[in-house]
Amino acid sequence: MSRIGESNKTNMKLNQLILAAVVGVLFVFPAWAADDSATNSSEAAEIEALKKQVQELDQKVRALERQRESEQEAAANTNQEQIQELDQKVRILARQHELDQEDAAAAAKTRPRLKLDASGFTLSSADTNFVISLQGVLQEDSRTFFADHNIANSGFLLRRARPIISGTVFRDFDFNFTPDFGGNTAQIVDAYLNYRYRPELQLEAGKFKSPVGLEHLVADRNTLFNERSLVTDLMPNRDLGVELHGDLFGGAVSYAAGIFNGAPDYNGTTVNADSDNDKAFAGRLFFQPWKTSDVDWLRGLGFGAGGSYESDRNGASGLTPGYTTDGQQKFFVYTNGIAANGQHWRISPQGYYYYGPFGILGEYVISDQQVSRTTAPLTSADLQHTAWEVAASWVLTGEDASYNSAVTPRHPFDPRAGHWGAWQVVGRYEELDIDNSAFPTFASSTASASSAHAWSAGLNWYLNRNVRVNASFSHTVFSGYTGTSPAVPAQTENVFFTRIQLAF
Amino acid sequence: MKTLLTILLASSLVAAAGAREVKLLNVSYDPTRELYQEYNAAFAKYWKAKTGDDVMISQSHGGSGKQAQSVINGLEADVVTLALAYDIDAIARQGKLLPADWQKRLPDNSTPYTSTIVFLVRKGNPKHIKDWDDLAKPGVSVITPNPKTSGGARWTFLAAYAYALATYGQDDAKSLDFVTRLYKNVPVLDSGARGSTITFAQRGIGDVLLAWENEAHLALKEFGADKFEIVSPSLSIRAEPPVAMVDKNAKRHGTLAVAQAYLEYLYSDEGQEIAAKNFYRPRSRKIAARYANQFNPVKLVTIGEEFGGWEKAQQRFFSDGGVFDHIYQP
Repeated sequence: MSRIGESNKTNMKLNQLILAAVVGVLFVFPAWAADDSATNSSEAAEIEALKKQVQELDQKVRALERQRESEQEAAANTNQEQIQELDQKVRILARQHELDQEDAAAAAKTRPRLKLDASGFTLSSADTNFVISLQGVLQEDSRTFFADHNIANSGFLLRRARPIISGTVFRDFDFNFTPDFGGNTAQIVDAYLNYRYRPELQLEAGKFKSPVGLEHLVADRNTLFNERSLVTDLMPNRDLGVELHGDLFGGAVSYAAGIFNGAPDYNGTTVNADSDNDKAFAGRLFFQPWKTSDVDWLRGLGFGAGGSYESDRNGASGLTPGYTTDGQQKFFVYTNGIAANGQHWRISPQGYYYYGPFGILGEYVISDQQVSRTTAPLTSADLQHTAWEVAASWVLTGEDASYNSAVTPRHPFDPRAGHWGAWQVVGRYEELDIDNSAFPTFASSTASASSAHAWSAGLNWYLNRNVRVNASFSHTVFSGYTGTSPAVPAQTENVFFTRIQLAF
Repeated sequence: MKTLLTILLASSLVAAAGAREVKLLNVSYDPTRELYQEYNAAFAKYWKAKTGDDVMISQSHGGSGKQAQSVINGLEADVVTLALAYDIDAIARQGKLLPADWQKRLPDNSTPYTSTIVFLVRKGNPKHIKDWDDLAKPGVSVITPNPKTSGGARWTFLAAYAYALATYGQDDAKSLDFVTRLYKNVPVLDSGARGSTITFAQRGIGDVLLAWENEAHLALKEFGADKFEIVSPSLSIRAEPPVAMVDKNAKRHGTLAVAQAYLEYLYSDEGQEIAAKNFYRPRSRKIAARYANQFNPVKLVTIGEEFGGWEKAQQRFFSDGGVFDHIYQP
């Protein structure tokens, strides 16, 4: 700008000079014309000189004007180039930023993902084909027995302490490894691999729950009461085997069928090997016809049946170690010298209904087993024990109840914010009848009862998705006991349970 | 138990057989999107008429080297149509997904069409770019993708190097100096050819884009001949983008026959015509003659003659610690 200004000033001065010169010539020339002719030649020379000066001045002015124009043009070009250069730099930076973002997005797609939340700790590959999760269940219980003549021990116990390692490899292979350090015996409760060809067709192998009992298949963290009902006494527990299973028609039909080592009626302590050649077949067919329908009140209806079959050959391993009450006391045991010998089949019709905060579950089971005495008198019998239960629940705070998942509180426990989690009342009635033919040849009425009837009521408090507190009372009466000495079935069992559970 | 398993498996197989819908994944490089969109439709029609089956062809595009790595890492391509043979060699060598002699299975070294590298400049060619040496001059901004990830960029680098060798009497040091100066003029390295086209044409960066011939023509079509013009250098390279079936994937998917037919049909008159319409140089003389007007005559060198094949070229110029790593500093 300053150069242009100076140039303008110079130009103005020159213009004034030229003007003065021209005016001077115009005034001088007429006067000079009036003089005599003697002076003509010198004056003409002077005029020529002045003309020349004017021409020179004019050329200088033009040169200066051209110089000024070229300077202005150069300045404009320089500015334009600078602008273009800056524009390119800005564009390059913007593009580089864009590419960096694309690279970051691409890198994020291949970066493993780490997640820690109420579902536990999960590490997965970017494409989720590889996943490993660390979860766990910790249950600290208390049992308080009333009027039991010191038969049972009241106290605290670590009911379950299970780290759960599960995950997926190569997209379709799921695995689970769950040891349990609760109780007095450490054991592997689950160890299996499941191949998911598609939801309808999956193959599972290893140690896992036999597909028979409805209540038994509820995860330990989600049961309504501290202990499962008398019905589960007649079900097989976890077993080793191979199972084909899947969900058809969007889960409207579920099936499972497998071959297993064979397990006796419920045994809390499971084994990792088989001691005989006998194998068991177990299966289950379950229907939820309205699972995906728009009819809300029918969506939670499910029903079906589970069953098992095996043939034992005179082995004690196929025989139950005893049936237990809600308080986990044995009220029925076979006498010594009894073996499973022959077929053992179970059938269990079952069903549930869940609608909003309400849930009800019921099942019936027959466990029919041939047993023999291995000592005199050598005799056999086909014993048919039965059990049934109905359990109902209501979430007082309005959250939804469901078959196999915990209640998720709308407002997790936070007293500072006035939130108290979710509350659920639960009730259950259950019965187990021993085949009368069991007495006295295979069991003693002075040691065992021939039936047990129990009701339970409780309150479950879900503080959040991970922490739960239970309290319940269970009342069990026995019949058929003829003994006189203090024993479990000699009196009614009244037990108060509590539980603090951490599950993630 | 066994019977139940058999029944369930048989049911699944019967259900699958009844579907009569075949899925195919073509993993390709960046600038072939338009070519294969058109070709896939034509092939699907041809296959339906021939077999009665519906074939659904999915496409995946990206830098050729990156795409090859994806296939090696598990992207389940039935066929690959990449920018250069070395990338398919890598799939054979590292992934063991097809035989090492894959290139012998189809005519013309499994390259149904060729291309070359040309310059796309802004309308009026304000920087007066006529040949490769103009690209190395100070003040010229050159757009080209990264040869480490882009097949096209590797062809470009080698074309520039071939020009330098010819210009400087096969003097390697001078040729290296030439490409060093050229790549000093590159302000942004995209990972693929399509990214570079965006940089040049949409983001308005640079004076010249070094592009696949077909990509340059597509840019003219898309953005308008009033904005850009194509400059053919005095010498370039015959780029041979090959195609191959990924045997193991196709076998697992049950698509061997359709994958083979998909590649073979590229050599048919219809396949060649589609390639030419998309500015690839067809192998068929008949089709090439029909489209001769759209391809400028350029002296072309080949990778084999000039650099001893891809294996050597890759090792020397583009491997980690190779020539490119030394000459290019971002």
